[in-house]
Amino acid sequence: MLIQLAWKNIWRNKKRSLIILSAIAIGLTCGLFASAVMYGMWDTTIRNTIDKELGHYQLHSNEYKAENLIANYIPNGETVIDSLQMQPTTIAVSGRTIVEGIAASPTSSGGVRIIGIDPPDESKVTTLYQYMKQGAYLDTVKANTIIIGEKLAEKLNLKLNSKIVLSFQGLDESIVYSAFRIQGTFSSESSAFDETTVFVRQTDLFALLNHPIIFHEIAVRLDSDKELATIAGQNQQKFPGLKIETWRELAPELNMVNDMMSLYLNIFLGIILLALLFGITNIMLMSVLERVREFGMLMAVGMKRIKVFFLVIFEAIALSLVGGIIGIIFGSILTVIFAHVGIDLSIVSEGLSSFGVSSMLYPSLPWTIYPTLTFMIIVTAVISAILPARKAIRLKPSEAIRSF
Amino acid sequence: MPLIELKKICKTYSETKVPVEALRDVDLEIEKGEFSAIVGPSGSGKTTALNIIGGLDDPTSGQIIVDGHDISTLKKDEMINFRLHHIGFVFQAYNLIPVFTARENVEFIMLLQKISKEEREKRAIELLTAVGLADRIDSRPSELSGGQQQRVAVARALASHPSFVLADEPTANLDSKSAISLLELMEVLNHEYGMTFVFSTHDSRVIKRAHRVITLVDGMIASDVLNTSAHEN
Repeated sequence: MLIQLAWKNIWRNKKRSLIILSAIAIGLTCGLFASAVMYGMWDTTIRNTIDKELGHYQLHSNEYKAENLIANYIPNGETVIDSLQMQPTTIAVSGRTIVEGIAASPTSSGGVRIIGIDPPDESKVTTLYQYMKQGAYLDTVKANTIIIGEKLAEKLNLKLNSKIVLSFQGLDESIVYSAFRIQGTFSSESSAFDETTVFVRQTDLFALLNHPIIFHEIAVRLDSDKELATIAGQNQQKFPGLKIETWRELAPELNMVNDMMSLYLNIFLGIILLALLFGITNIMLMSVLERVREFGMLMAVGMKRIKVFFLVIFEAIALSLVGGIIGIIFGSILTVIFAHVGIDLSIVSEGLSSFGVSSMLYPSLPWTIYPTLTFMIIVTAVISAILPARKAIRLKPSEAIRSF
Repeated sequence: MPLIELKKICKTYSETKVPVEALRDVDLEIEKGEFSAIVGPSGSGKTTALNIIGGLDDPTSGQIIVDGHDISTLKKDEMINFRLHHIGFVFQAYNLIPVFTARENVEFIMLLQKISKEEREKRAIELLTAVGLADRIDSRPSELSGGQQQRVAVARALASHPSFVLADEPTANLDSKSAISLLELMEVLNHEYGMTFVFSTHDSRVIKRAHRVITLVDGMIASDVLNTSAHEN
């Protein structure tokens, strides 16, 4: 009956309760949606980085990790790839041949990372092909074709089908030159990636290096990253001469964001609730001061002070939970809608791409936010009601029952 | 043994610039089954006396024995518990819980006593029927007249099976008809069920019907007389 009384009490002054209820609901709807946008943005960025470039984990020779030299390739790379492909959790494996070099056009030049790939294998591990803006993804037929980032094309003043000259140090430390025809340009979320990375066919690189198959990097895609750390650990034992790193180690800044995101969300929602806390306290205080005589009567007829205290606490919890649940429902609906249609921020895509963030945002929230948020609402309600509840139990029944 | 016994009760309010002596060496005994009124002019100390008997206020000195218990030694929460089980209250302004129906208001006291739901409901209906509100059981206080609200308050006061009922100016907010009707009801409860009633009042209608009239003047008992005409009625 105490809870029943608390519930009925909050509807005594409907207008006032509805105002604070709306404030809580609107605050949490906006807060939850803003959190979903933030979370979705970083979640997309992490997934894009895995999809576009990293894969779930990579293997390099220890020497290559120490120094990115062409000679520091993975010994017996083909055997390693075969072994990885046999593992049940592996979806795809791509061996990459990587050299650092210079890309030059008739007007300009710039340092680039030249990545030799087997296009069919690479397309199973990463989604680079989805970022093609002009032309086509590398095919297996035409020799000496290249795809470059739009940013680099712009910098070198190159167009589709233009020739670009790549120069790099060969295995014998001689300088290798070759002209490639631009088959396509890509544009990812990261302008830095687009400006410094070019992709060529692995077979063309092998020919230029005058060397049979070598891989500097092996990228692996798994069916899920749930067992990522275990799988990486097992393979590290299997290939002790190689350095195995998950995407968390390869992109520590993203890993940090990933780990901190839940904390950020909780802090962000906590700040919103803190602002609401003062509103709830104010409303509860008004409500208690309006019912001084009633609290006096309750204590006079035999209601213990602890029960009076909890009556006020329950009222605040009921008020906050109703507003909170409405806010969570509306916030979730907004999140679900925009998770499907996306939020197009192409108007500021330039700025976002410098941070490696996609201009198309898909809000999302981890399910764990809901119980956490509900708990935070209850805690907020309890804290906000402490002062009014203390006020209620400090009343002297003999004086309170005669007040008006 | 008297039901209520005040021994050398003094009450001084020191919060004001000049301390006010509300009660001065009051000795009073009230027996079980009495229908007594504490009367006196405004500021005579009648409400203070009632508050002290009801354990709502502490005396500055003296001893109060209620139903065999020395309540002047009880701690705050023990006192609340004592009030719940031994004293019924009827207030001047009814003081019902506005969001509850008449039945829920009566049940609430029994809920605090941890009485089972079935018993609560049964007794609430019985009491509301006894006070003449059988047809207003599910009405909220706002749907009842002042007299009807005070009847609910009486039913609530009786719900906890108290040793006695303290009524602070119960007819002050009622019209004549409602006041007389309420007094008649309380007389019936006193006569038929032996319930002890102690009023503070300056309402002549109550004074006329009280079996015993204790008059306070300046915090002291000026007179304590039996109202024989009321007894005869």
